[in-house]
Amino acid sequence: MASVTFDHVYKRFGDVVAVNDLSIEIADKEFLVFVGPSGCGKTTSLRLLAGLEEISEGNILIGDRVVNDVPPKDRYIAMVFQSYALYPHMSVFDNMAFGLKLRKTPKSEIEQRVKHAADILDIGHLLDRKPKQLSGGQRQRVAVGRAIVRQPAVFLFDEPLSNLDAKLRVQTRSQLTKLHHDLATTFIYVTHDQVEAMTMATRIAVMKDGILQQIDSPQHLYDYPTNVFVAGFIGSPSMNFFDATLVESDGKLEIHAGGFRLEVPEKKAEEWRPHKGREVIFGIRPEDIHSKQFTPPDILESDVVAKVDVTELMGNEIFLYLLTKDNKQFIARVDPRVRVSMGDDIELAINMANAHIFDPKTEMTLDAR
Amino acid sequence: MYRNKYRLIIPFLIPSLLIYLTFVIYPYASAMYISLTRWRGLSQPPQFIGLANFQKMLQDEHFWNALGNNAVYLITLPTITLILALFFAFLLTQGVPLSKFYRISYFFPQLMSVVAIGVLWSFVYHPTIGILNSLLQAIGISNPPIWLGNPKTVLGAVSGVAIWQAVGFYMVLFIAAMEAVPMSLYEAAMIDGANRWQLFWKITIPMIWETLMTAMIFIMIFATNMFAITQTMTQGGPSRSSEVLSTFLYDEAFLGSKFGYGTAIAVTLFFIVLAISLTVQRLMRRDTLEY
Repeated sequence: MASVTFDHVYKRFGDVVAVNDLSIEIADKEFLVFVGPSGCGKTTSLRLLAGLEEISEGNILIGDRVVNDVPPKDRYIAMVFQSYALYPHMSVFDNMAFGLKLRKTPKSEIEQRVKHAADILDIGHLLDRKPKQLSGGQRQRVAVGRAIVRQPAVFLFDEPLSNLDAKLRVQTRSQLTKLHHDLATTFIYVTHDQVEAMTMATRIAVMKDGILQQIDSPQHLYDYPTNVFVAGFIGSPSMNFFDATLVESDGKLEIHAGGFRLEVPEKKAEEWRPHKGREVIFGIRPEDIHSKQFTPPDILESDVVAKVDVTELMGNEIFLYLLTKDNKQFIARVDPRVRVSMGDDIELAINMANAHIFDPKTEMTLDAR
Repeated sequence: MYRNKYRLIIPFLIPSLLIYLTFVIYPYASAMYISLTRWRGLSQPPQFIGLANFQKMLQDEHFWNALGNNAVYLITLPTITLILALFFAFLLTQGVPLSKFYRISYFFPQLMSVVAIGVLWSFVYHPTIGILNSLLQAIGISNPPIWLGNPKTVLGAVSGVAIWQAVGFYMVLFIAAMEAVPMSLYEAAMIDGANRWQLFWKITIPMIWETLMTAMIFIMIFATNMFAITQTMTQGGPSRSSEVLSTFLYDEAFLGSKFGYGTAIAVTLFFIVLAISLTVQRLMRRDTLEY
């Protein structure tokens, strides 16, 4: 068990800066998820921590110890790879025992630890098999088992679920959350899937182009995205963005986008008024756009009409692909009882309480926290 | 349509089958037969004498001498060549600068004709004008051995050339196999606590095992042959001390006109190679790896 600190860490590959001034303090027993699109530096950050890449500048600490020059084997970490990296010539037992054997652990203890890990992961019956005889899900569990038996201070996961099918991924997600709870150890997890990040993390670090965009609890990240990128990346379908101007007329604050005008309810107007007259990027999540017919109570409602372009029925909800008057597409996630077809106009109720405005130049949020 | 696919396949296979029968199976079968005859290779038809050639062979000290020399090569060549090739391959896959240059230069002997190599090295080993002895004298060894003229040094000298020629090929073979091993396995093992030596023994070697087995069979077949190098460098001398089965059978058949006997030796050589290949495969067989 240990905390992990990235202290102004840089990683350069030639002219490319893969990790740019990364500073994070990860508490002991935390489940931190690095998330971002491919090439954002999240895997590189993990590999720097594992010691598989050398740091160009800065310090990485595990506990109180600077590990910049410590070889991977002496960092008290274990890693689960995207490809699982099981040794194909060894049985499941030997795969799990390999690290312990190299560390000259007594045989009886190896057996006991492998058995214990196998019980946790329900792979006890597979110990004699070779990796090629296992299914994807089983391989994934063996890879996790190999990490568990080492009893590391920090677990590292590099996209461990991306080779699993959708159903298994959902199952394994909850198993990993449970495992984190049971082992009470620091987990650091890399994924490009924001759903994985949202469901498992205690905190999420969103990265883009090597730069940490925001690090926060999942709910806070969802509610208060710090910039347009985070707002668009977290949440599915992603937030709708419109170029707009914040206008005050007759004492009422309004959002003027090309294809619609939205009144800003007084409660929200207080927050936004300092920015009146400015051009902004107006952001609203699909789940905050309701059909007027089925408006939930207690929302800061502001109404608008749009034309239905495509409907996608999900059973428990409907995704409406809508068009503003100037033909800009946006998505709403509405009640399944809504009955509309392509080309219809629909009245929408937008929950302005959850609307966001961003500076169009810096793309940073203008919301008051 | 599919039920009758053999009607279509068979006519297409027949020509190649005929060619194979004519140029491979028939010569083998006829060699087997000739080994059971007395035949001087010219006009007289071969005269069937049963296993007499083989009987004679077993009592022929020259046969045992040649076989013994092959046995020496069978031990030295695979061990030294493969160890060197593995060593270089491992080095050159570790991101050494100029590794491409080394790869090409080590592989270079493979591109030369074996005859040219034999002649070239005969000059290197030449007692008076050879570069080797000149160098040895330059560093103060006044009486360097006459490498190819001394029964004690000749096998070593010839082995050296064979190894020099073969290492590059096996190195390239191993480099290809090593580069196919997923990097993540090494990374996983490093995190598991393996040092370089353990990475090599616990990951690299098992992962390239099939290539190793193929290489082992190749080099052992090479060691049972050794015809071209021996013929160009020593012709089996001095006094048969570097004679191998292939040069021995060549001498018996083409110089001694004993084609029946020569072929009997060739047939024996064939079975020796077959036995070696099967044994190596049996001993080294492991599960096919998938990753």
